[in-house]
Amino acid sequence: MSNFSRRAFLGFGALTAAGVSGVLTACSSSGAGGDAAGATLRAAFAGGGSSETLNYFVGPTALDFVRARLVHAPLGAIDAKQPDGVSYGILESIEISDDLTSYTLRLRDSVTFTDGSPVTAADLLHSLRAPDELEGLPFTRLVGRNFDLAAARRLDARTLRLPTAQPIADGRLLLCQSMLVIKDGTTEFTPKTPSCGPFVIEAFEPGQQTVLRRNPDYFGDDVHLDEIHLLSVGDAEARANALREGQADFVSGVSPFNARELAKADGLTVSAGEPPYVSNLRFEMNLSHEPFKDERVRRAFRLAVDRQAIVDTVYFGRAEIGNDVPALGFPSYDTGLEQRRHDPEEAKSLLREAGHEGMPIELTAGPELTGMVETATLVVENLRAVGVKASLKELPAGQLFADYEAYQRLPFAAGYNPSAPFEANHTPGTFPDIDKLVATARSAPAEGDRTAASHKAQGLLWEKGNEIVPVFVPTVDAHTDKVSGVRSLQFPDLSAAELASA
Amino acid sequence: MIRFGLTRGVTAVAMMLLLSAVLFFSTEALPGDAAGAVAGADATDSERAEIRERLGLDDPAVTRYVTWLGDALTGDLGRSSAAGRPVAEVLASRFGNSVVLVGLAVAAIAVLATVFGLAAGLRAGRLGDRLLSSVTVTLIALPEFLVATGLVVVLAHQAGLFPAVSTFPPGDSSWQHPDMLVLPVTALVLGGLGVATRLVRAAVVGVAGSPAIEQARLNGESGVRLAWSYVLPAAAAPGIQGLAVMAAGLLGGSLVVETLFNYPGVGSELARAVTYRDVAMVQGLGLALAGSALLILFVGDLLAGLLNVRSRPGAWRRAEGGVS
Repeated sequence: MSNFSRRAFLGFGALTAAGVSGVLTACSSSGAGGDAAGATLRAAFAGGGSSETLNYFVGPTALDFVRARLVHAPLGAIDAKQPDGVSYGILESIEISDDLTSYTLRLRDSVTFTDGSPVTAADLLHSLRAPDELEGLPFTRLVGRNFDLAAARRLDARTLRLPTAQPIADGRLLLCQSMLVIKDGTTEFTPKTPSCGPFVIEAFEPGQQTVLRRNPDYFGDDVHLDEIHLLSVGDAEARANALREGQADFVSGVSPFNARELAKADGLTVSAGEPPYVSNLRFEMNLSHEPFKDERVRRAFRLAVDRQAIVDTVYFGRAEIGNDVPALGFPSYDTGLEQRRHDPEEAKSLLREAGHEGMPIELTAGPELTGMVETATLVVENLRAVGVKASLKELPAGQLFADYEAYQRLPFAAGYNPSAPFEANHTPGTFPDIDKLVATARSAPAEGDRTAASHKAQGLLWEKGNEIVPVFVPTVDAHTDKVSGVRSLQFPDLSAAELASA
Repeated sequence: MIRFGLTRGVTAVAMMLLLSAVLFFSTEALPGDAAGAVAGADATDSERAEIRERLGLDDPAVTRYVTWLGDALTGDLGRSSAAGRPVAEVLASRFGNSVVLVGLAVAAIAVLATVFGLAAGLRAGRLGDRLLSSVTVTLIALPEFLVATGLVVVLAHQAGLFPAVSTFPPGDSSWQHPDMLVLPVTALVLGGLGVATRLVRAAVVGVAGSPAIEQARLNGESGVRLAWSYVLPAAAAPGIQGLAVMAAGLLGGSLVVETLFNYPGVGSELARAVTYRDVAMVQGLGLALAGSALLILFVGDLLAGLLNVRSRPGAWRRAEGGVS
């Protein structure tokens, strides 16, 4: 009704092209019954303005990866419910040798690219090497750091054997976390670049819109949409408005406040990613800062933080409480660890014991993750409550990691890591005993030994580590009630989304 | 007049050079660089160093300034450090959108401010003037985001008349979607109208008591004809200069409006580039904005100069064919 009055108001005589196709869609879907064949999903993401790119190795924003995952078939996805810990996409299986030094990847049979050529082991190998060869961003190069890709060998047209750099047991997670398949020799990405994912690119305008059309030759059978329009809407408030006004069916990256408001609205649903697809918000106590060398000070700081209050007041409940250990939701996460209490009295007495009562400290934070600044504000208040002379230094967006050397020298700083397994992402060099345990956790031949070592390492991190991880933050999305089938992975996966007819 | 134009032209070019240097070296002086922003928190030190080298961040600043300025003169503004897109390409797509938005807004402001400014200035001190003055002062006092949010709530949410955000299909320009232009243009007009009206009013008040207008009144001119044929030509010069300043400022400075309505203009792109330490983009967009601001001001000066000449009593009489 509001659309009609808008058109009438502006006095547009003829229906716009969009209007015509809308009518046609309505006809075809009523003929097909409940399933809206020919449906178009409009999904809004923050995007990255003109820096958006089809080359997902260098694209810095979530939208670049969301788009790429719809166009290029993923090897798989992390899925704790499956026996291998992953569900497979274009791969049929990943076999690991008993000594954990070689991985055998097997492609599905008769999968083709959009140019008609078959997807082969050569394409798979190029896809794994491309992040390094095309100078991809660090997060795309996880596989290259852990496997000896130069020594990879093709066993037949569909099978590839990868030797590992050191024996590792968690290679399946690394391979399936974010690797996509591209054609051998691909170095540039245009809308015409051959691909083998569920959708192909019809049009792409960085910072504005991407039009994706269903790939009729896609090997999967759970694609229901005909088109997806990915809208770039930078401002969170504008994204919420686009959903309210019916200009988008799905919006990603909803602020906690907007999530609460949109959840109350009729016809809208708010959803949040579930572990392991959550980012850990962390506060790092720099061990070169004198007071933090004392284990009691670190424990006092951790005890001072009221985690439940952060979950309730900053995230309105849409976050998971943290226990100072990373990688919540991954199979090796130690759920047996005692949850850290909020104990200001104990914190006070530990600080007194250590002789650091009333110590001054400045916490540096910036709006790099939803709620980071608000959480930092609460942490500073919590610390003041136990007598620490804490203050907050709030940086504008984009500044926190801009000078990384300076960031690493800060005595007390906020940071975050996107969803990633603990062992493969552990940065060695702080606690040698933990480093050793993590190495064992990745390479011990028996699964029981690996789990035991990982849990022991996590226990030590819990005991004496220098990070406060008060909360795990999901990406919060909202959509109209007509939308279903969106999977909340690291980023929303729209490939299997459905749009019910009105 | 020609000498006046030349002097202004040379000043503008010198100003441009100075601005380019200020722009380049101030962006150089920002703490941190794109390598830190691009690499992310999980990068190793060698990966960071590799990104820095690839972006050419290791050469001395003066060398890079000379190279940059030389390239800029040939239309090559470098590449975005975020994804390698040529800055000139981004500028081409974003700048046109900004020109459409600001052009429409400034045109509307010019018409409305002229009407309201004349009406108020010719009735200075009377009820109508006082009413218009309070409205313009209120408009000036309202923060831009409040005006924009108000428009969204009333005209998009409640009335459903216009889309709340701009979502142009790929390849389309903003002028092909007039419905999506209404709210951003209105927000800019409401933001600039107050100042512009007061500028015109002040000029009109200054002119209204002059001997020339007195003469016209004594000749029996009044009402719209007096305002249009006598007051406006004399008051136009400061008005045009005021509008030129406003247009130059809005071109890159309509950030709030661009952000809230998701309008793909050059201001939001510049803000993004600053946030992500995309130095080439900041420098390229900044240079283009500085250049067009100087151009607009230059044209405004020329027009005002022309009008001043025309409206000087001696010249006026010569133009009318009179003898002194």
